[in-house]
Amino acid sequence: MVQNHHCEDHETVGENKEKRPKFFINDHVDILIEILKRLDGRSLCVAASVCRLWCTIARNDSLWENLCFRHVSPPSSSVRSVVLALGGYKRLYTGCVRPVRSRLGRMRKASWSRDEVQLSLSLFCVDYYERLGGSNSSGRLVGESSPSSLMFLCKPVNI
Amino acid sequence: MKRDHQEISGSGSKPAESSSIKGKLWEEDPDAGGMDDELLAVLGYKVRSSDMADVAQKLEMLEKVMGTAQEDGISQLGDTVHFNPSDLSGWVQNLLIEFNGPTTTPDPNFNDDSEYDLRAIPGVAAYPPVKSDPGLENTRKRAKTESSSSSSSTTTRPVVLIDSQEAGVRLVHTLMACAEAVQQDNLKLADALVKHIGLLASSQTGAMRKVATYFAEALARRIYRIFPPDSLDPSYNDKLQIPFYETCPYLKFAHFTANQAILEAFSMASRVHVIDFGLKQGMQWPALMQALALRPGGPPAFRLTGIGPPQPDNTDALQQVGWKLAQLAERIGIEFEFRGFVANSLADLEPEMLDIRPPEIEVVAVNAVFELHPLLARPGGIEKVVSSIKAMKPKIVTVVEQEANHNGPVFLDRFTEALHYYSTLFDSLEGSGVAPASQDLAMSELYLGRQICNVVACEGMDRVERHEPLTQWRTRIETAGFSPVHLGSNAYKQASMLLALFASGDGYRVEENNGCLMLGWHTRPLIATSAWRLAGTESGSELTQELS
Repeated sequence: MVQNHHCEDHETVGENKEKRPKFFINDHVDILIEILKRLDGRSLCVAASVCRLWCTIARNDSLWENLCFRHVSPPSSSVRSVVLALGGYKRLYTGCVRPVRSRLGRMRKASWSRDEVQLSLSLFCVDYYERLGGSNSSGRLVGESSPSSLMFLCKPVNI
Repeated sequence: MKRDHQEISGSGSKPAESSSIKGKLWEEDPDAGGMDDELLAVLGYKVRSSDMADVAQKLEMLEKVMGTAQEDGISQLGDTVHFNPSDLSGWVQNLLIEFNGPTTTPDPNFNDDSEYDLRAIPGVAAYPPVKSDPGLENTRKRAKTESSSSSSSTTTRPVVLIDSQEAGVRLVHTLMACAEAVQQDNLKLADALVKHIGLLASSQTGAMRKVATYFAEALARRIYRIFPPDSLDPSYNDKLQIPFYETCPYLKFAHFTANQAILEAFSMASRVHVIDFGLKQGMQWPALMQALALRPGGPPAFRLTGIGPPQPDNTDALQQVGWKLAQLAERIGIEFEFRGFVANSLADLEPEMLDIRPPEIEVVAVNAVFELHPLLARPGGIEKVVSSIKAMKPKIVTVVEQEANHNGPVFLDRFTEALHYYSTLFDSLEGSGVAPASQDLAMSELYLGRQICNVVACEGMDRVERHEPLTQWRTRIETAGFSPVHLGSNAYKQASMLLALFASGDGYRVEENNGCLMLGWHTRPLIATSAWRLAGTESGSELTQELS
């Protein structure tokens, strides 16, 4: 008897809960984007594996653009067209900016953030040029992942 | 190259004495003296591990000196009694002072990163060529018989030697002796020594082995007059430069610093023209184009003239590079024009061929990365090219050259310089963290190996690797009518950052030298970038400096 009462109580409580609107972050993509914008690179990659929606959003290049220029004054508008033409901000970040930043971390001076980005852009451009293919490498087969001059950035640093 | 202090030969040499002393030592607290070296302690020597480096150096120097002393007939060294077993370092030092007395004293700042720091070898090659073969045998035997010592007639007390470095030192001595023999035209002797080098080199590992092998091969070619068949094929060299670009920062440094100077010279121009004396794969230009594209005020119209050698298979390599650069230019939104010129030598170029437009319309930059030194092989070559450059009326000329003197009149001097230079280069390649067995590393070494071959084995017009140090280039370029342009702090900053990105950024050094930038490995500068303008013209950067 007592149990039945309890059940009824639960049911009413349950009903009350259903009547209150639930908040799913996935229904509010703009807020989600604002939050994801503030993540660091690694967290953004982790976020991309949460669900399909998050994955799609995390692929959005503007999030990575924020990441690249986070500590730097906003770049001129021409930068975006160049970066997009060369492969996009995600590629720029993962291929160049992140390794450059982490390697130079120990020598970091505040004034160098801008230069780090500049250097990353230059290396990014060189990398694009190398990937253009054609007969640029001696004896390398087309399709084989030819090491580019950015490979040194991908190697783990022995500290 | 680090010394391995743990290997000691001759440790089994005096069982009778050591066992009694050993008994005493083992009772003592081994740490009483503050980390005494265990292995030497077994023999009765109390040497601190921290002093080991010092002791090893001194022992090595002593050994070299003893080598020469023996041939001069000083045999009483062997009878010297070692009175104070704990002061091994002091004893050796005394011996050295005895020998070296009035003549050269070993450099107290002898900080040896590489074995082949030739400043350590007092005087000329340690083996006088006349007595070489028997001398070699004797000294090698002497060192090795230390372990079975007490029967040896030359010593009453065995000397503790660090074995692992001995062969390396021998190798350098033999290389030098062989070069001296070649210099004196004693080809029979040189032949015998070259074979020795092969044997000694096989006992080494790493950079030393490779350097020795290349030098031995080059010496052999010189002796037997067998010159490499494709030594004159510059297009093969161009292909080898790609792996070299990727495995070490020298070319990247060259490109980035030169680009910075060019960028600053182009700062206000709306049309620019770059003449690249050695286009190769065009790896320098993407970074410049990107910087121009993002220039405040928008990119200029960019014209590139690339000069290259004829290809053996008649393909148009220059056009292919031009096409790739054009694709890049289109992507990033720069107006681009390319023209390629095939020339056997830069001296064959006539400025009229290059379609130079007047300076009010187009600003010209001339870029020569490792392209000027081959001109020294032809009489009149460099003068012709310099006058061509002047006729092009460039706003800036960027020159990158190896910082070494491989163009002296005396073969032995060139050999010594080259040995030092390429040893340092190979050291840096080894330390750069590239996977040891990678194809890129092997190709980079081959690239350098061909240079070694050219410096050592070739003569006359064939010897194109006529590297000269920055001071000589400065004199030459200035007397030709150019003034230096200082590479500013931006270039220095970029270069430093670039180097910090490499795993062994600790080994590379950027130095500023009177407005030029030099990149080196530890204390040795290896390449130098400099920038020039026509004397009597004003450069933009100087103007801004005056105003500020």
